[in-house]
Amino acid sequence: MARVLSATYDELVEKAQRVFWLNGYKGISAKELSEELGVSSSTIYTKYPKEMLFMDSLDYYTSTYSDPFLKGLRESTEGIKSLQEFFYALIEALLDRTFPKSCLMVNTIVEMRVENQDIIQKYHSYISKLSDSYKVVLRKAHKLGQIKDENRIDAYAEFLLGMIFSLSIFYKIQDKSELKKYVDEQLKLID
Amino acid sequence: MRYKEYNTNRVLEQAIRLFWQNSFMGCSINTLVEKTGVNRFSLYHEFENKEGILYASLKLYKERYCNRKFDILKEEGDIQKVLKKFYLSFLQNDDIIPGCYFIHIGTELADSDEKIKGILEEYLLEMEELFVDILNRNEYPNEESVTISKHLVGLFCTSTSFCLIHSESQRDQYIENGINVIFGTNG
Repeated sequence: MARVLSATYDELVEKAQRVFWLNGYKGISAKELSEELGVSSSTIYTKYPKEMLFMDSLDYYTSTYSDPFLKGLRESTEGIKSLQEFFYALIEALLDRTFPKSCLMVNTIVEMRVENQDIIQKYHSYISKLSDSYKVVLRKAHKLGQIKDENRIDAYAEFLLGMIFSLSIFYKIQDKSELKKYVDEQLKLID
Repeated sequence: MRYKEYNTNRVLEQAIRLFWQNSFMGCSINTLVEKTGVNRFSLYHEFENKEGILYASLKLYKERYCNRKFDILKEEGDIQKVLKKFYLSFLQNDDIIPGCYFIHIGTELADSDEKIKGILEEYLLEMEELFVDILNRNEYPNEESVTISKHLVGLFCTSTSFCLIHSESQRDQYIENGINVIFGTNG
């Protein structure tokens, strides 16, 4: 896909990403989007279409919010305890609105389901990055003696993929201590 | 009663599909008027505003589509099989859009609309209680049932979001794995 790599475009993507995070893709029209971004509507209709901004917003989101988070997780050394810290940090980000509304990838899955193949491609690479990071930590947990059966690592990694999805709903209706308890109990299931 | 000349539930059926497919914020009252063929005055007379239509549509969705899925949890048989059947019932393509309308609307609006937040909370609580019941019937001690139920609700949230992009075999495997981990049964 052709990209316009001017500073202006990058700034627009950064702003657009936040707008989509709060409104979803369908929840905002091209005209409203142009108003939020402070550009003319013809810019959105002709130069930087809404769909292009959305796709690049998803990339911006993963590279800004998700990748550094996951890199830290992969480099962690304490196995299950590192996972606990990782999920606690996610809870904080959800509650203090560092993540203004849930997780953008989760919101997008719920909103767009299987309507757009390009988006599905992006999920798959996002999910496999997530799953690989969990496996790295789970292997360390196994070395630390926290997981008995090495053969269960893939099953546990798959199970943990659900955590960002369930927390993305639960943070809306539960308080911090309930959320942390949920995380602790989920991690206890991994043994 | 001129405004009752149309069928309320027929309007709400349309509303469920429109809000689900276009998102609530992405579906204008004009679209509702166009798709239902009911004029704006009648819609407002009956439901007050667009939010009123949304709340009523959630209620109808619960009655028409969820209750019979919730009833699966009252069936006898192997508990893990019953649970799997329950989760999968939300992902089938036969009666309505796969997924869960409550999760969909909750994802979009529970942060900004207190009423939706309450509706979502109540919905998941009812489900949690049904999980406790089925566990108790299967002779799990009460304390354990309460804990397991929370994680079964978590798996519900995941299966009606993450699993939407899965193939049939992937979701089957994902849900089965989830149940196994929660129950500590290794496949």
